[in-house]
Amino acid sequence: MSTLSPGRTMPTEVPAPGRKPRRQPSTWWIYIPLIIGLLLLVGPFIWMLLGSFKTTGELRQVPPTWWPENPTLANYEDLFSRLNFLGYFFNSTVVAVAVTVGNVVFCSMLGYALAKLSFPGKRVLFGVVLGTLMVPAVVTFMPLFVLVANLGLVNTHAGLILPFLAGAFGVFLMRQFIGGIPDELLDAARVDGAGEHYIFWRIVMPLCGPAIATLTILTFLASWNSFLWPLVVATSDRMYTLPVAIALFATGQQETNVALLMAGSVVVILPVLIVFIALQRHFTQGIAMTGIK
Amino acid sequence: MRTRGRSGVIAVTLVVALALVACGRDDDDGAGGEASQAPEVDTEGASGEIDVWAMGAEGENLQTLADQFMDEYPDITVSVTPVPWDAAHDRIVNAIAGGEVPDVSMVGTTWMGEFATLGGLDPTPANIDPSQFFEGAWNTTVVDGVSYAVPWYVETRVLYYRTDLAEDGGAADAPGNWDDLKAMVQAMQDAGAEYGISLQPGGTGAWQTYMPFFWQAGGEIIGEDGSFTLDGEPCVEALTYYDSFFEDGLTPPAAEDVPVEGRFANGEIASFISGPWMINIVKDAGTEEGTFAVARQPSEEAGTSFVGGSNLSVLEQSDNKEAAWAFVEYLMQPEVQVTWYETVSALPSVTSAWDDEQLSGDEMLSVFGEQLEDAKAPPSIATWEQVAAEIDGVIEQVTVGDMSPEDGCAAMQEAASGIGTGQ
Amino acid sequence: MTGRSDAVGAGPSAPTAGRSRWRDSLIAWSFAAPFVILFFVFMAGPILVAFVSSFTDLRVTDIRNPLAIEFTGLTNYLDVLSDARFQKAAANTAVFVVVGVPLTIVLGLAVAVGLNQGVVKARTLFRVGYYLPVVTSIVAIAVVWRLLLGTDTGFINGTLTIFGIEGPGWLSDERYALWSVIAMAAWRNLGFLMVIFLAGLQTIPKDLYEAAEVDGAGPWQRFKGITLPLLRPTMLFAAVITGIGYVQFFEEVYVMTQGGPLNSTLSLALYAYSQFSFGNYGYTAAVAFVLFVAIAAVTFFQFRVLRES
Repeated sequence: MSTLSPGRTMPTEVPAPGRKPRRQPSTWWIYIPLIIGLLLLVGPFIWMLLGSFKTTGELRQVPPTWWPENPTLANYEDLFSRLNFLGYFFNSTVVAVAVTVGNVVFCSMLGYALAKLSFPGKRVLFGVVLGTLMVPAVVTFMPLFVLVANLGLVNTHAGLILPFLAGAFGVFLMRQFIGGIPDELLDAARVDGAGEHYIFWRIVMPLCGPAIATLTILTFLASWNSFLWPLVVATSDRMYTLPVAIALFATGQQETNVALLMAGSVVVILPVLIVFIALQRHFTQGIAMTGIK
Repeated sequence: MRTRGRSGVIAVTLVVALALVACGRDDDDGAGGEASQAPEVDTEGASGEIDVWAMGAEGENLQTLADQFMDEYPDITVSVTPVPWDAAHDRIVNAIAGGEVPDVSMVGTTWMGEFATLGGLDPTPANIDPSQFFEGAWNTTVVDGVSYAVPWYVETRVLYYRTDLAEDGGAADAPGNWDDLKAMVQAMQDAGAEYGISLQPGGTGAWQTYMPFFWQAGGEIIGEDGSFTLDGEPCVEALTYYDSFFEDGLTPPAAEDVPVEGRFANGEIASFISGPWMINIVKDAGTEEGTFAVARQPSEEAGTSFVGGSNLSVLEQSDNKEAAWAFVEYLMQPEVQVTWYETVSALPSVTSAWDDEQLSGDEMLSVFGEQLEDAKAPPSIATWEQVAAEIDGVIEQVTVGDMSPEDGCAAMQEAASGIGTGQ
Repeated sequence: MTGRSDAVGAGPSAPTAGRSRWRDSLIAWSFAAPFVILFFVFMAGPILVAFVSSFTDLRVTDIRNPLAIEFTGLTNYLDVLSDARFQKAAANTAVFVVVGVPLTIVLGLAVAVGLNQGVVKARTLFRVGYYLPVVTSIVAIAVVWRLLLGTDTGFINGTLTIFGIEGPGWLSDERYALWSVIAMAAWRNLGFLMVIFLAGLQTIPKDLYEAAEVDGAGPWQRFKGITLPLLRPTMLFAAVITGIGYVQFFEEVYVMTQGGPLNSTLSLALYAYSQFSFGNYGYTAAVAFVLFVAIAAVTFFQFRVLRES
């Protein structure tokens, strides 16, 4: 997970109405630096992929090898047999999906309230939420654990999910994005007698495609890769998530099974990549705004 | 004491002096000699369920031993939870804080002080006899005079060296004292190695390579009165000696970016100091059998090495201590210790287990066995991790930076005293 | 074009007749409630507890003996600020932010613009590829970068030797280590910023570019005159997010250098973490809240600089 905590896009302007992008002449000279950059960025992943087919011994060689000398599937076999793979995958999925869905729903709701409704304490609330973004997470772990323990949620899915359902980033993102939706649109609906909840679910949310896509990707990524919290809350094997399980079997007190770690890292990345590839086209989707004057 | 008259002070001093002479001295770090234990626990009639936390490879394989145990004790059910090493320390602390503890847990030797001081561990009952273990290992379980765990498996650090380079260089014998070691390293470097030895120049855990030299020079981390004694003659000697390898270009000048086993395999590095797990690692990296050997650490006032490994503790908040201690006792039996060695290559902490052919007959392992007879651990104080980190920093300043060994010793002592022993 | 960076609509312009403000508030809170409840229980609560603990001598050894905890007032904060290692960490972090944030933004923006306007084929491939480092585990990345930056056996130094240059110890020399880490962080995170800028670029109507082209403006002028100004709100948020993230930079140094050599890559977050691992909870909380002040300051500064007039 990168240093940057989940952030979000910030289109504050409603994208222009629906003209299709003109086909541009591809400027070939731009490709060259981009391709070089791409190789630089993708290189490590490829090395990791190749490494997952090597033995730890080969990975430790000096100078390091690129192609596996004796390609082996042993690491993957290990991964799926030694580890209760399906179980960990299930846990990771349940948690990541729940946290993502929860964030999208709750953060959008609050974002809508902050952006389009008036109520006392609005500014203070936003300030507090924003403020917590700036507090380093490490301080919260102990008190949070004691709280979760007292609620009887240690080693449960709920314990893995609940603390992260209310993400400040999601609020920030949705508030800013929803803020860009013209009030006229909503007022028109209100005049027609629509209630706020109707407006929210039937009008606002559908318009939030790119923001929701972004929030989904980033939240899913953060939750899927999250390591520190499941490490302390999941106290028995059946509750472990994938990253925890992989670290468990790959790192010893003094030595690390690097090859197993590589294979594990590849497996852990795949679902996130899939989510990303599926949703990334929304980044460039313009919103067709019709019927607005 | 200030209010007493001078005669009172003299009387007290005499009594203390007599006591010291009479009891004899045990010169292990931390609480040496007799550690008190809890009264015996009735493990015969133990029953019920217990939860055991074990780390890494041990975590995966412990269930096999647990199954054997359950055959002998059909009334007890043991469930093993594997825990990653990185997580283990925080997981245990959190468990104690939240009251959700396992019954038995592996505890790293350097964590003992902290966990015992915060009241998380159950004192070892008298069922367990300390004399069955290596002394250094047993001492890792003692915090403030009371034993809170049982050593499960041990490791110690010895010198790995390339026998072919040593022969070419004309120094084929294992080093006896510091001068021997220096000469041997120089010889191996002359014989073609890029570096005669690889010593850790600071960074996490560097103290484990440095401390043995300190102990060999006669130093003690904590003195009789319970305060730090990191400076003084032994430190200056040891630190100067350690630094001399860097000054003379006999060891890589900065932290290595490639693992040492690869460079050992192709002869770039002729020797290094590490534990038993490296035997298989250097072989995996391509070092051929017969081209390397291990030797005990050199000896000045003593030939001491560092002892680590893992202990087993019963948690104070456990609600089935009888069954927990029954399981622990079981794991201490020599046959079970040997079986454990066969399963995960972990060296037994019980000395009689070493009589087994697999251990006594193996040339390299018997070197470890011998070294274990003279191996120490740092004091089991609650603040040790922090003190160790400071020591690591000073070692780096001296070997990589330009601090002098004298200043280094003073810095270590100052930092340690500032942190205190957490009592 | 007016931006709306934080002048968010204050609600419906004219309340429909017949609805009381009280009822409006209730409706609003019905939207806010789920989040607020979860938030205060699981987020604000622990932070508050941590804040209080920063004024005590709370240590790990107190967790079963809470009565042993004493209030120590500002002692922790004073100790933190006067600790040499803290000061070194603060200096390192400052360099990291001041250099790293603009660097990563420039790279991310360059890639986004390039992809948006110059590239037609295989867009998805590029996007996924550039985003890959963001998703890849830091452990794997560290392994690879160490190979790249190795003093004797690294790829970069190996290439330099071909030209007869002896490369320095990128990670082992205290003069270079921090810059190597900054480079790695920029490399890793530019994909993330690329994603943000790509979305922001979508909001710029294409006809503006066409009109400018017709007027004879070259690519660079179009970039300076249209893209940059219109991206301001996006830029602000990119800068804020990156700033907040970079002030807390931790993973890269934890895995690559552990803060060395000689504390030259020690970050504030790593410093806090090591104190946490020693069990000095009250002290760690103080460090964290000092960090909080730093983050707030950086964020505030960015708002001042990048805010729209």
